[in-house]
This record gives sequence, C-alpha cells and structure tokens, in this order.
Amino acid sequence: MVATSAALLLFLLTAAVLPGLLAPGNPLAIAPLEAFQPPSAAHLLGTDESGRDLYTRIIHGAGPSLLIGAFATVIGLGLGGVLGAIAGLGPHWVDAGTTRFVEVLFAFPGLLLALLFIVIAGPGPLTSTVAVGLATAPGYARLVRTQVLAVRRSAYVESAIVLGRGWWRRLVRHIAPNVGGTLFVLVTLGIGQSIVWASALSYLGLGVSPPAAEWGAMLSAGRTYVGSFWWLTFFPGLAIVLSAASTTLLGRHLQQRTRSS
Amino acid sequence: MPQFLPLSAPVRAASALSMIAVGALVLTGCTSGATTTSSSEPVTGGTLIYATGDAEPTCLDPHVGGNYPQALVATQYLESLVSLDTDGTPIPWLAAEWTPADDGLSWEFTLHDGVTFTDGTALDAAAIKTNIEHIQDPATGSSTGYLALQKVTSVDVVSPEVVRLVLSSPDSGLLESLSQPWLAIESPTALARGTDINCESPVGTGPFMVTAWDRQNSITLERNPDFTTGPADAAGDGPYLDTIVWRFVPDSATRYAALASGEVDVIDNAQPDAIVASRSDDAIEELDAPRPGASNRLELNSGKAPFDDERVREAFIRSADINDGITSLFFGTAERSYSVLSSVEPLGTSTPDLFTIDTDAANTLLDEAGWTRDSADGIRSKDGVPLTVRFPVSTNQSIPAEQSLFEQIQATTRAVGFDVQLEPLDLSSWYGALGENQYDLVSAPYTKVGPDVLRILFDSSGITPAPSGYFANHSQINDPALDLLLEQASAAPDATERASLYADAQKIIVGRYFVLPLYDQQNHFLFRSDVQGLRAMPTVSTPTFAESWLDR
Amino acid sequence: MSALRWTVGRLGGLVFVLWAAATLTFFTLRLIPGDPAEAVLGGPGSQASEEALAAARAEYGLDQPLVVQYLTQLARYARFDFGTSYALRQPVAQVIGDQLAGTIALAVMALALAWVLALLVAVWSTRSGRLAAGIGTGLEVVAVAIPHFWLATSLVLLFSSTLGWLPALSGSSAAGLVLPVITLAIPLAGFIGQVMRESLLDALSSPFVLAARTRGETATGVIWRHALRHAALPAIGLSGWAFGSLVSGAVVVETIFARPGIGRSLLSAVQARDVPLVTGIVLIVALAYSVVTTATDFFERIADPRLRLAAVA
Repeated sequence: MVATSAALLLFLLTAAVLPGLLAPGNPLAIAPLEAFQPPSAAHLLGTDESGRDLYTRIIHGAGPSLLIGAFATVIGLGLGGVLGAIAGLGPHWVDAGTTRFVEVLFAFPGLLLALLFIVIAGPGPLTSTVAVGLATAPGYARLVRTQVLAVRRSAYVESAIVLGRGWWRRLVRHIAPNVGGTLFVLVTLGIGQSIVWASALSYLGLGVSPPAAEWGAMLSAGRTYVGSFWWLTFFPGLAIVLSAASTTLLGRHLQQRTRSS
Repeated sequence: MPQFLPLSAPVRAASALSMIAVGALVLTGCTSGATTTSSSEPVTGGTLIYATGDAEPTCLDPHVGGNYPQALVATQYLESLVSLDTDGTPIPWLAAEWTPADDGLSWEFTLHDGVTFTDGTALDAAAIKTNIEHIQDPATGSSTGYLALQKVTSVDVVSPEVVRLVLSSPDSGLLESLSQPWLAIESPTALARGTDINCESPVGTGPFMVTAWDRQNSITLERNPDFTTGPADAAGDGPYLDTIVWRFVPDSATRYAALASGEVDVIDNAQPDAIVASRSDDAIEELDAPRPGASNRLELNSGKAPFDDERVREAFIRSADINDGITSLFFGTAERSYSVLSSVEPLGTSTPDLFTIDTDAANTLLDEAGWTRDSADGIRSKDGVPLTVRFPVSTNQSIPAEQSLFEQIQATTRAVGFDVQLEPLDLSSWYGALGENQYDLVSAPYTKVGPDVLRILFDSSGITPAPSGYFANHSQINDPALDLLLEQASAAPDATERASLYADAQKIIVGRYFVLPLYDQQNHFLFRSDVQGLRAMPTVSTPTFAESWLDR
Repeated sequence: MSALRWTVGRLGGLVFVLWAAATLTFFTLRLIPGDPAEAVLGGPGSQASEEALAAARAEYGLDQPLVVQYLTQLARYARFDFGTSYALRQPVAQVIGDQLAGTIALAVMALALAWVLALLVAVWSTRSGRLAAGIGTGLEVVAVAIPHFWLATSLVLLFSSTLGWLPALSGSSAAGLVLPVITLAIPLAGFIGQVMRESLLDALSSPFVLAARTRGETATGVIWRHALRHAALPAIGLSGWAFGSLVSGAVVVETIFARPGIGRSLLSAVQARDVPLVTGIVLIVALAYSVVTTATDFFERIADPRLRLAAVA
C-alpha cells in the first residue's frame, strides 16, 4: 500500500514536472467534432466538451493543480499554525488575544473570505490560491492551538518542566513532535482539500481562468454533463482523490515510523 | 455554479423609436412549436409548478428597473395596452383600438369596457395616465420602460375610455414598445402604496394575481376569478389553473431532474444536453422561443487597440472558427447566426460570406497591420506589445456551453497569433470591467422588439456611459453615417424604405467586422406533456399560462 | 468562581468578536470596486441617473465621511437595528429571520450525521485489522476529496432522476432534507474521521490506555471509555471549524437543491454588493460560531480531564 502510494506520488510528481514525458500531446488542442467521446484506444480517458484529450489534460493539469493545493495549504497552515502556536504557547493574555483574533476570522465563513478576496483582487490562479489559503487558515489555527494546549499540559511536558528544561527544548523535543503528527495529517489532507476548494470557486464561476488544465476547473466544467458524459468529471475527480490519498497514506506511514522510533 | 448561478438575464429591452405605420413588420414566428395541442377539453383547476433558472427579481413590478426575469413572471399577472400576433402585427389587448394623428404626434387609445384590476379598481384612461407617469417618474427607477417612452411628453384623459399620448416627434415603434411587459398596466390604487409594497404585490388585470412571495423560494400566483381581457389572439376562455407556484431553482441540473421526476411542470433556461436528453422522454416536451432583438454575438471593442484597426478585427473574425463548436456543444439545439439581429426579426440580414474562415487571409491582414510573429509562443506583437485580447465573460449570463465555445474561439484565434484572455466574472465585476473600458471582446445579450435595437446597440450616443457606467454600444462604433442611417430608418414612413435603410445599417455593422454573430438568444422551455395550451407571447417570447390547463 | 469568570470572559469575547466582525466587514466591503449606491438602484448594469444615485447616497448616508458612516452603523447595530437590504428592499433582520432556521436545521443535522459516520468508521477501522484500516483511510480520503457540487448533482441524478426515491428540490418536507444533509455530511465526516482516527491511534498507544489495559479493562471498554475521549478532543475542536465550513457548504448546497437559506442569501448578497445584508449575515454567523465554540470548549473540558484540572488550578 505504501509502495503503491509512493509510486503514485512519483508518477504525479513526474506529471507535474515533466508532463510532456507522459503525455506528449497538447492539452489545449481542441477538436470540436470529437467532443464527448468515451474512453477508447485513441483517447484513453475520453475527450471533453471541446474534444480535448482528457488524459493529456489531466497529466498536464497535475502541475497547476498540485501547486494550487500545496501553496494554498502552505498559506493556510502557515498563517493558522503561527497563530495557533502563539496562542497555545504564549502566556495567557497572548492566548486570549490571538484566540479572539482567530475567532473573528472564523466569523467569516471561509467561502465569504474567498469570494470577497476574489472580488477585490480579481480572478486568477494566484488569487484563487491565496483565497483558499485564507479561507482555510482559521481552521488550522484553532486545531493547532487545541493540540498545543493539550500537549503542553500533558504529563510528559509537565515532567519536563519539573525537570527544569527550558521552553525551547520543551517546544522542540516534546510539543512540536506531538503536534506535528496531527499537522502532518492535516497537510496531506489539506492538499486535496485545497484543490476541492479551488474547484468550488470554479463552480461559482470565479476560479482559474479557462482553458487551463486544472483538475478543479475541469471537474467544475464537466459537472453540467455529469448525467450524460460521466468521464468528464470522473477522471479529474479521480486524480484529486488519488493525489490526496497517496499523500495521506505516505504521510501516515512516515508518521507511524516516527511514532514507533 | 454553471448555471448554478442564476442564469440571470439582465437583458434590457429598450425603446422602439422607429417611425412606421401601424402593422408594419416587427416580429414574426417566434413561437415555433409554441402551442401545444390536445384533443381533450380544457380542465379547470390544479396547481402548476414553474421552475425558473433566471435570477429572482428584486421587484415584481417590471416598471422598476426592467429585466427579463421580471418580464417572465409579470406576463402572468400584468397586461399591456396592445400585443402582437405571430406576424408581429399589433393587436388589441387592454386597448380595443387606437388611431395615430395625421402628423404622428399623438395617439388615441380606446380601452375595453368594464375591465377591473384585481383590487377592484376600474381600468380607465386615468389609470393609463398614472401608469405612464409612474414609468416616467425618475423616482420609480425604470430603465427599460423609461427609455421606451422617451418621446411621450404628456398623457391626456380624453374621456374615461379614451386616452391620448402626446409625442415630441413621430414614433411608430410606440406600439411595439407598449406591447412589452416592462410597460404593462398596473392598478393606480396599488401604485399609490409606494415602491416597496408595490414591488412585493403588484396588482394588474392579468389571468393570475400575486398572492405570496417567499423570498429565495417561490412566488405564488392564483387565478384571477374576474379575468375578462387577454390579447386578441388568445385561445379558449381561461385561465384554467387555480395556482401557479413560481419556484427559483438556479441549478440547471436540479431543474431538469425535478422536471424529469415530475416535481415541477415547466422549466426555463433548459441546457442543450438536457433538451437532447428530454427528446427520448415521452413525458417531456419542448418549447423553443428565441428572444427578439439582437442575436447573441461577440462585440469587438473598436474604441481602442488592437480592434480599432479594421484589419485586426477582420483577422479575428476570419480565424474564429465556431461552427463545429456550436454543433457539438449545443447538440443541434442552436443554429449558427450570421446576422446581428435575431432570426425572428424579419429585417435581419444574414451574410454568411462575411464570416467564412480563412486563416491565410487572417495572417496576411495581421502582417499588414504590423503585428509580427517572432515570439516563441506564437503570439503576435507590435512595438513590443503582444496581441492580447481581453474577454470578460459573465458567468451569470453565459451558459456553460457558451463558455466552452469561447474557449474554442480562444484556441482557434491563437493559431493566427491572438492571445485571448478569458476572464470569468460575476455580474457586478463584469459590468465594472465594461464600464472601465477594460475589454476588447464581450458578449452581452439584449432583448427588445424590433430592429430599432440596432440604434440602442450601435448608435454613437450609446458609447457615453450612464452615471452608473452602463452603456450599450459595446463595439463602440462611432460612425456618423451609421447614426444617420439608424435615425432615418426609425423615422422612415415607408416599410420598404425602412427595410432598405436597416439593411444598409447592418451592412456597415457586420461589413466592417464589429461583431461576430453566434446564434439567437436561446430561450428553451421544457414542460411535462400533460401541460396543455402553453405558448410563448409573440412580444418578448415569455411563456403565458393564461390558456394552459393540466390534462391529468 | 472559575465558572463565573469563564462565563463573563466568554460574554466579553462574544461582544468583541461581533464588533470586530462588523468592523472588518465594513471596511472590507468598501474595498470592493463600485458604488454601493448602484446596488440600491437595481444592482449591476443599472441605468440610474446621477440624481437618483445622489438621492440613494443621501438616503443611506453614503455621502458621509467613512468614519461617520462606520460609527453610525455601529450605533445602529448596538440598537439591534440591522438596516435594510439594498437588493431585497426588506429589513435585514427579517430576511435573516426568514432564512436562518432552514440553514441551522441543515447544518446541525449534517454535523450530527458527520459525527456519527466519522465515529463509526474510526472505531471500526482502528479495531478490525490492517484491511479495515486501509478501507477506513480510503473512505475518509475519498469523502474529503469530493466537492459538494459534484456530490449533490450525483445524488440528485441517482436518487431523484434514476430511482425516484427522493425529491430533487428541497422544500419544507423531511424527505427534501435528506439529500442536502448527506451532501454536507460526507466530506465533513471524512475530515473529522481522519483527525479522530489519528488521535485514536495515538491514544491507544499512550500510557494511560496501557494503564487501563493493565487494570484489566476490555479492549472495547478502553476504546469507548478512555481512548475515544482523548481522541475526540481535536475532533471537537474541529467542530467549531466545521460549523463555518457548513455555512460555506450551504452556499453550494442551498443553491443546487433550491433551498432557501443563509448560504444562498450570502452568495447573492455578495454578488449584488448588498452591504447591509452581507454584514447582517456575517454578524449572525459570528454569533452562531461563538455559541458553537463556547459549546465545544465546554465539551473539551469534559472530554479532557487535563483541561478541566488546568481550569480549576
């Protein structure tokens, strides 16, 4: 299972870096008369509404999709993690202030944050990425804080305090590894989740500019035809699920190794 | 959300200021397959559920603002002074007859006797005066109706049944204007209640009346028991239905699923794949009623580079290959248009020759215009400026198939060196981009009865934005010769001369490559086959349930 | 004593959050290009005259300096006056009042269903061997990666169009709630389940569980009495976040199932630049969120003796 996900991840990374190697075709080449063709030998995964080859588009879409997913997660988790860590580690008044701030961010439904950001900054891949990052940040912040608090008050940290260890050492030796476990899972989940978020923005008509071969945008564009031509949404969806699954499984494996060591 | 977002159509109808005799051609046969037939006798009673994909109106009084979603629902409870038959000839409705003065500067309308509004107020000449003044009052905030009445300077009550409209200059487009739902007649007693209340519960003489409006969900319309009028071409003696529930269902897939499972009886804004799927379902029938006025078209902004150069415009149109795309994306439900006017407009001229694809010619034209091709990505440039074409797309107005078609245009024009930047925007941002002149290409639907729509869309005065930034002349044609032609056409007393003037005007618009026509403004309705007697009004193609009954 | 302080602190926090949310919304909405007066006069593309725009600006105080507008608005909110929606011409309080119950019902049911699903899958898959663990992970990962809009459409196709079991339109009937609730619950269950199982595994290998096992408690007893309690912590914390995400999800779900609610109002309000309505909805969501957080904090204290001790100490 781990080997499979590692292989899959390798495949996806290759697709992201060297798409031409796996799919030499042009992902933007249209052929209207060959639109809506089901999977066949000529078109492995079928063609989309403009007759573009879905396999080629999915391979070439790996780069932009994973980038959006990764960057949005980094932004979200970075913002959220810093806020959460400050809240969880700092003195009481810092915790209170930061927690309030996070709560205020929470007051904005994520989608509203994203929508407002896009309306203000104008649509585009970068805007979508930042919008998704902003939308997910408060969630991470709260989760990190809860974890940090729980770990900080746990027996082993208490004993570290009793033993007179400095706070930095406590953070590095005890809190970070314990919080890190949950965070790692969140990151691996977050990438897939961010791609899904970006696709929701596309569905709302505010996503990545067409005709970019981005999985979320493909999923959203194919949705109209979900009843008639299933492959238009199935394969981009599968790509999202597989990338999310492989990162998660690999993440879990690494985590278990650190736990048992 | 594809059309997850309400497929809103802030399509504006506008004034008809043309000058022709009563009965001149306006609109024909927009009701292909419009009327359903049945062998059985009409049945009284029952509730019909209509699921609309158009945006929920913010005001149910179509005098306020004036867009297509308002027209759709108002057709069920409001009536106009006159209507049109399927040939586009004005026919009596609330007005039994009318006569223009010899100089064309005033019109007298004689009303039907004994008509009352559903609040009991009598329909009389004073009521008409109140309505016209209501539309003309800036405080009402009417845009569509207001423009249509620009030439009306005053309204006189001649007698309780006769009302006279006084014009500043002849306007034989007046009857077509008055036939539109945006100029429908409402109860003066109800209007006196003020805008907010009247927006919630407008009162008219129509077959149904508004009894409840549950925001974001539905409007409930109930049968008008005292209904007496109806346009002269109405069939039967309806209304038969007890109730119409007008539901707002923005998502097209849900709308179709609800129709297929029988949860709703009629849907509008049916998507191409749903229409095709419905053809194999005996329980579902189709009503195709293209809207009048302009066709759906791309407008090339000639007000700035690169499309200020006619050669660049021609090169773009010569390379934008869309025929195969229209066939495959619309599954044969839409026909390619080669006219700036809707196919239901008799005065539209179709010129396929101007739109033949010729990439060699396009390349030559671009070379001549100084746009050279030396960058690696194949995009042309001139003086270091790439040949970028900004194309804001309203995701509310363009259906998914249309957005896909735009991607294909992007792909085919790229082959000769254009870099089309598609920018999907929500409606407010889209209007914003237009208002700030940040576009080179745009697709903006426009509904109105008659060829006078050309004057709205292409007269140079349409370049000057309203205070809100809105303007109608998106191609920014600024041609005194065209302005003159359009004005002469609107004042032409003779039908033949008028037709030839409009033909000349269209020759300039399409001949100088200001527009790329796509297809008619799609207006497909699907309904359960047990819904009988449904037809689209020959005016602005809204469906009417005045003659409908449920055969179940 | 500490309970009182906790309550007072919470209330103060609530007021602060509402104030900050109103402030942030006010200034953010001013960043959006365009004239709010246009939203008053029929929204985008209106052909309102300069006089009408001026009149609308005067009526809504939009001609005042920004600070004055801001203070006026705060003063109004302090009197529980939420103003009138630009686009709907109805008092904001009334619009929200009409829509709130539907969205809350949807969100609460979805959250409950998500918890049940997550709990079942997490417990089953941690106890039933490697294969079960694999299947559990698979289910969770797939659930998380399904966008609401695709799931909703697929469910409609399957249960309404094909099988005819459930209505596609969500009305007031209970049957109409099934598909929207499932749509919202599945991705959420994936997220909660994922986090819960991680902590469950952690807990099962922790000293206090080992201690319980050595005291002779059964495996089932350990899971339900000790480990789940520990494992529920991050997941409970997540529920606060989940509530926010449900509101976001409601935007899509309410639109697809043609269901009136706050989410759908929010989307149309943003698109119409309906400032009073957007602010009103933000405030109500902020309030709801604060209530949920307080509740989760409370439950966290119950679930984790360490926090309870810390609070007492």
